[in-house]
Amino acid sequence: MVVASSCNKDLNQIPISTATTATFYQQPSDFIQGINSAYGALRGYPNNLIQLGEYRSDNIYGVSVSGRDWDPINDFSTGLAPNVYVEGAWNGYFSGIFKANTVLDQIAENGSLAGSASLATRLQAEAKFLRAFYYFELVKNYGGVPLITKPVVASTAIGIPRSSVSDVYALIISDLQFAVANLPANYSGAFPNYTATDVGRATKYAAEGELAEVYMARSGPAYGVQGPGMGLSEWNLAMPLLQDIISNGGFVFNPNYASIFSYANTNPTVNKEAVFDVMYVGGNLGLGASFVWLDLPQNYFSSLGTNTVANGTLEPIPVSPNFVSSYEAGDLRKAATVLTTGYTFAGNTETRPFFKKYVDITKIPTTNSGDWAINYIAIRYTDILMRKAECILNGASGGTQTDVDAIVNQVRTRAGLAPRVNVTLAQLFDERRREFADEGPRWYDLQRSGNLITIMNAWIAVDDTQHRISTVVPNFVIYPVPQTQLDGAPGLYTQNPGY
Amino acid sequence: MKKNLTQRIGQSKGRYLFLLFFLLCSSWAMAQTVSGLVRSGSDNQPLAGATITIKGTTKSTAADVNGHYSIAAAQGATLVFKSIGFVSLELKVGSGSTLNATLTEENKNLNEVVVIGYGTQKKANTSGAVSIMKNENLDERAITRVDQALVGQLAGVDVKQTSGLPGKAFSIQIRGTGSISAGNEPLYVIDGFPLTNNSSNTSNGSFANGNPLDNINPNDIETIEVLKDAAAAAIYGSRASNGVVLITTKHGTTGKPKISFNTYVGYNQSSKHLDMLNGDQWIARATEWINSNYVLAYGTSKGATANDNAATRQANLGLSGSQVNSLYMLDPRWAIPGHPGLEFVDWQNVTQRKGLMENAEISASGGTDAIKYFISGNYANQDGFLIGVGYQAYTARANVEINASKKLKFGVNIAPTYSITKDPGVDGKDNIYQQSLYTTPVQEDTVGLYPNFGKNAPYTWGQTNVNAPLGKLQNLVGTTKRYRTLGTLYGEYEIIKGLSFRSTLNLDNTDENRNTYVPYIATGANAAARTFSGANNLTGANSGTYNSFRHQNFVNENTLTYNTSIHSDHSLSFLVGQSYNYDHFDRVTLNSSTGFTSAVIQTLNAAAAVTGNTTATQSVLISYLGRVQYGYKDKYLLSASVRSDGSSRFGANNQYALFPAGSVAWRVTQESFMSKVPTISDLKLRFSYGITGNNNIGDYSSIATLGSGNQYVFGTTQAAVIGAAPNVLANPDLKWEKSATYDGGIDFGILNNRITGSFDYYNRLSTQLLLNVQVPEVTGFQTYLNNVGSVRDVGQELELTTRNLVGKLQWTTTLNIAHNTNNVVSLAPGQTQIIIPNGLEVSDQILRVGYAQNSIYVLKEVGFLTAADIANHAATYGPAGAEQVGDPKFEDTNGDGVITEADKQILGHPNPNYIFGVTNSFRYKGFDLSIMVQGQQGGQIYSQLGRAISRPGQGFPDNEPESFANRWISPTQQGEGRFGKTFSTYNSPIGAFSEWIYSSDYIRVKDITLGYNLKSLIKTPVIQGARIYVTLENFFGADKYTNGLNPEAANTSVGSNSAYPEAGDYGGLPLAKSLIFGLNFTF
Repeated sequence: MVVASSCNKDLNQIPISTATTATFYQQPSDFIQGINSAYGALRGYPNNLIQLGEYRSDNIYGVSVSGRDWDPINDFSTGLAPNVYVEGAWNGYFSGIFKANTVLDQIAENGSLAGSASLATRLQAEAKFLRAFYYFELVKNYGGVPLITKPVVASTAIGIPRSSVSDVYALIISDLQFAVANLPANYSGAFPNYTATDVGRATKYAAEGELAEVYMARSGPAYGVQGPGMGLSEWNLAMPLLQDIISNGGFVFNPNYASIFSYANTNPTVNKEAVFDVMYVGGNLGLGASFVWLDLPQNYFSSLGTNTVANGTLEPIPVSPNFVSSYEAGDLRKAATVLTTGYTFAGNTETRPFFKKYVDITKIPTTNSGDWAINYIAIRYTDILMRKAECILNGASGGTQTDVDAIVNQVRTRAGLAPRVNVTLAQLFDERRREFADEGPRWYDLQRSGNLITIMNAWIAVDDTQHRISTVVPNFVIYPVPQTQLDGAPGLYTQNPGY
Repeated sequence: MKKNLTQRIGQSKGRYLFLLFFLLCSSWAMAQTVSGLVRSGSDNQPLAGATITIKGTTKSTAADVNGHYSIAAAQGATLVFKSIGFVSLELKVGSGSTLNATLTEENKNLNEVVVIGYGTQKKANTSGAVSIMKNENLDERAITRVDQALVGQLAGVDVKQTSGLPGKAFSIQIRGTGSISAGNEPLYVIDGFPLTNNSSNTSNGSFANGNPLDNINPNDIETIEVLKDAAAAAIYGSRASNGVVLITTKHGTTGKPKISFNTYVGYNQSSKHLDMLNGDQWIARATEWINSNYVLAYGTSKGATANDNAATRQANLGLSGSQVNSLYMLDPRWAIPGHPGLEFVDWQNVTQRKGLMENAEISASGGTDAIKYFISGNYANQDGFLIGVGYQAYTARANVEINASKKLKFGVNIAPTYSITKDPGVDGKDNIYQQSLYTTPVQEDTVGLYPNFGKNAPYTWGQTNVNAPLGKLQNLVGTTKRYRTLGTLYGEYEIIKGLSFRSTLNLDNTDENRNTYVPYIATGANAAARTFSGANNLTGANSGTYNSFRHQNFVNENTLTYNTSIHSDHSLSFLVGQSYNYDHFDRVTLNSSTGFTSAVIQTLNAAAAVTGNTTATQSVLISYLGRVQYGYKDKYLLSASVRSDGSSRFGANNQYALFPAGSVAWRVTQESFMSKVPTISDLKLRFSYGITGNNNIGDYSSIATLGSGNQYVFGTTQAAVIGAAPNVLANPDLKWEKSATYDGGIDFGILNNRITGSFDYYNRLSTQLLLNVQVPEVTGFQTYLNNVGSVRDVGQELELTTRNLVGKLQWTTTLNIAHNTNNVVSLAPGQTQIIIPNGLEVSDQILRVGYAQNSIYVLKEVGFLTAADIANHAATYGPAGAEQVGDPKFEDTNGDGVITEADKQILGHPNPNYIFGVTNSFRYKGFDLSIMVQGQQGGQIYSQLGRAISRPGQGFPDNEPESFANRWISPTQQGEGRFGKTFSTYNSPIGAFSEWIYSSDYIRVKDITLGYNLKSLIKTPVIQGARIYVTLENFFGADKYTNGLNPEAANTSVGSNSAYPEAGDYGGLPLAKSLIFGLNFTF
């Protein structure tokens, strides 16, 4: 029996060449590696934004010839639950939440091994920022989702249903408040604060910007669905956060629109428009960007003669005529955003316009289409300014119509356009459409504006010449729960109405 | 020789003295000398060594080499004649002094002792489903691997020869497949030593962690038994779901030394040549293709026609002088008689040869009361039929058993082996063999067999991405060296009569390393990269790897057995035991793809930048087992066993599981009423039920390990940072796959056992499969390994042996046939299908409830599009308008007017419905002849090779099968219906069509061996046996894989997810056929 019991211990084998969650977290760098992995889930965020935020909106008329993945997004199919983009975003964000929760869990259990309380606090703040960031994206796209605050095994997961939107928001807000209070403001401190090598980590101002967005989203109308809008009118909560970024953040309004997205200007310490960046690097490390070509067909790149690795989509996803014609004459942003010259490849000439905001044809990667060396600005200073204007127009204290006009005219001037006075909310959103085109927020702006249904249906009536797009109803404000999730735990999640 | 003679004289003297002694001692009992001849009843040959005993006494003698005996026996005494393999005969001594005895052969099946797990049993008394193969089937053939020997021999044992590479492991499935992710290979037990199961071996047909039968010398094998039903196998518990193969090696027996020398020499060559388009046919196709392409591009814009001459084409293309564009212009030499300057090449012929096969073995066995031994040494060499391919093996074995006392014996079995396999990378996708099929058969005669090689440019109309296959065979290096030692040390002590304790220590150690080297001249993309132009060039284009592993499997087993009988009617046998199994892997991988600093050094010390790492894994299995066997008058037989296994691979909550089994048998012929039915000489009914398991997953599958791939980017200067996060969702509840098997069987012998056989019906339900299933993403994962789903295998097996002729000409037929149906019964709750993720193109297999595992799931081609079809908007894929008359037409199963993934349907399954083998053996005087035929029926192949070499719209440089000549040519010439038109721009994104489904039926004359016993020629008594033989292996056969080589080929990983392995044929070598001359000598 002695032999037997000592042998039984042998059944508990610990992996030799890989660490486990039970063994790995032993020193500060282990916890830092843990939080790095949680940032890793950001890498899919720009793609999700373009696929769920642009393809869905009146900016794109991209119904395809042979049934591509983006069709049901673009044409408001009710059979959207199995769609790869709908599934990909859900998976990507929950994967990020799991990694953030793993760090929080490990700090709670083994925080003493993190080296110092201040590092532990910083890491918790980063984890909570990321967890809130991902949860906010989930609420924006799917409404209420399961609330998970620590790593769970499968048997637990199948007992956790969707939470209400307000419960999810409660976690998001408390996480972001913790992040605002505990994240370093900049990258010039000494470890465990951020140093130059930490550029790209979430700062206090990133957390403030994110929290302001959350309050503003909650302030939007609900359309009668359990979506991001709750009609709460929290503009006054957003306003001071935005103001703090503007007053103290050290960010700079870039006077040249095109240079904001220039490859020469992708370094976040140089590009002062970037409040928070999703970071990429080239050089075939598997860490480059692919969002760059999501709005352009392969044939465009092929027509340049340098497309060796399948950059571009399989079929064109053109910009809608309505969007192109929305540019006022002389708008400098048009040339920086839209390819209007067409192209010819293999005898076929394509004349429709395309988004090309992030494309620099001298920077096309040659060995891997996912190796573009450009960051994605997740929170842009111009957005902070324009959100301030939006809060003011919605009655927030701390600003006037003059401030609103100043902000909008600063943007218009940079675009080469004449200033306006007494800018209205509708004009502000219209300006945002062109300012942030191809950056992904259009669909969510429409949600928040309260005019999503009317604007979309009016646009469809004009631009949908192929009669491929369904009439937009309130249920389409949010996406369905992915089919894989319904299948993975039958009966657990209630599908959103209308799907 | 002299010594032997002296011995013989000594023996003779001894015998006379012995006889004298008897004469003297028994004279008072009126003894007389009785003498005579002992013969075999079947062939009348003398039975040398037969023993003759006077019943009731210890007096005995033995027959001499001529069958003569003599013994002093009183009149009225009874002489008992015994000879191994014959029914003993009792004859009364009468008044005469001559008493001849003719012994009849006993039915081997009845009194044969078989090895069962942790013990032995009389075959007659087994109640489980066991198939047996004896060594005599092995010694007479030229075989290099044990699995090769099993082909076609045993009912329900499907041995797939997945490659024609010499030395390569076969894939074995017993009674179908019960697991989706955890492997379907059986457990191998050699002399009681359970070897490590193969894991994750089905993804591409190779065994990355080694195969349990590697380097085992087939000539050392005494018997191979397959435990097929749960009752027989369950004593091996958690590893027995896929069946258990028990291998027993030869052991010495008491007697004078027996020395055997076996050798053979012969050659092997490819058993199949896939006819591809020859030079003229290829030119015809290329011309058609290029003209079509030219007219398509310039017909409308410039009025181009297929009749345009080179100058017109140049003008249309905007070319001048000697400029050409091979996509639109023809090689003018094609039209000139004798095509000067061009050479036509059959690449299969130039890369193949007749490979030498040779083998030499010497063994010695024998023993005394104190020690028994068997030792052997073997050298085998097989040069592959493909240049540069070969296998060599050196094996030795010593099985020694020592009887230290009457109660204590111990022994050691040790088998050190070493093998060298040479394979420059020939099997599978885009490897050299496949290239020898599709390389352009027309080449410049200035470069001949070496186009696109070294400084040679490719042919302008040939491939630019394929380097000369022959050059690669000659220059690429891929050598695997394997040193494996199997060792067993055991001791057995009889505590009291019937109760004995046995303990074994076993170690299986394999050290394997594989090094590869690719020189710059062979694979560079262009001539500049393939020719030496200074150090930079050299360092850029060479590559090499060195991968090695050490695998150690240590097993300690301790068992206590007690055999007793009560009133001689009740026999009882008990077994309890305990087992500890430790398995450890160490791996080293080193490689350099950035070049070498020397053109002569092939090891990595000359490589420019070497990257490498080491990893290790280990697992532990702890088991407790017990068994009770009861027999009443050898008539009613009961057996029950239970095993408890604990495995480190499973979740903390479920490390242990229990595997019970029971069986009953009724030997009807032992009943008294059966004596009235003399035609039935043996009849046994069997029934069994039991539960077995499968633990064949990764070593740490239940634990949350941390993985890479979580990197991110930070910094003023963007730089990668390491991230760490769990890459596995822990599953502390992870447990075994369980198979519950019912088996009903009947063993019979008819007409004095002239006809013997057995029939079995089985029904195996494998449940709680180790399957990657969907899980809510809130866990951070999309899938995790859990126990869900079930698969059922139902089948029937028949084994039959008939002794058709038993006189001077003996003719025996053995037949086995097995039928199996396989069905996915369930997947995860609510899930009805899993489309197997495909890593090559698009998915072509599916797991669907109600259908066979890995059913072929593709678009069904229903002929070719006609003008009317196009006018009526027949369903097509892709943008309408690309399709033309003669392009493939598909069945639109959901009728939505377009062809999408949703129109795929199940059109076959890879496993055969029937497998069979028939052996006819004949003996006449000194001659013996055996013919073995085996085959399978009812399975399908979805051929990746077919797709690769005959896809629609395929460019002209790649060669096509010759049967392409029978393609669609016009609406009135539809050909055989498989191949569409030569030139097509209708290319599918869905791309898995029924066009590449072939039946995997085949029938093969696996082996013909003709032998002649030289004993009648060689009169010297020194040589006890001598035989010469000639063997033809795989010489004749037929299959329906018309555009492939081997219906069982598996060489390329098709699935992209290791949880759903799918192995495909992407250009697997045909089997080798061989002609061998051999000699067996026994001294």
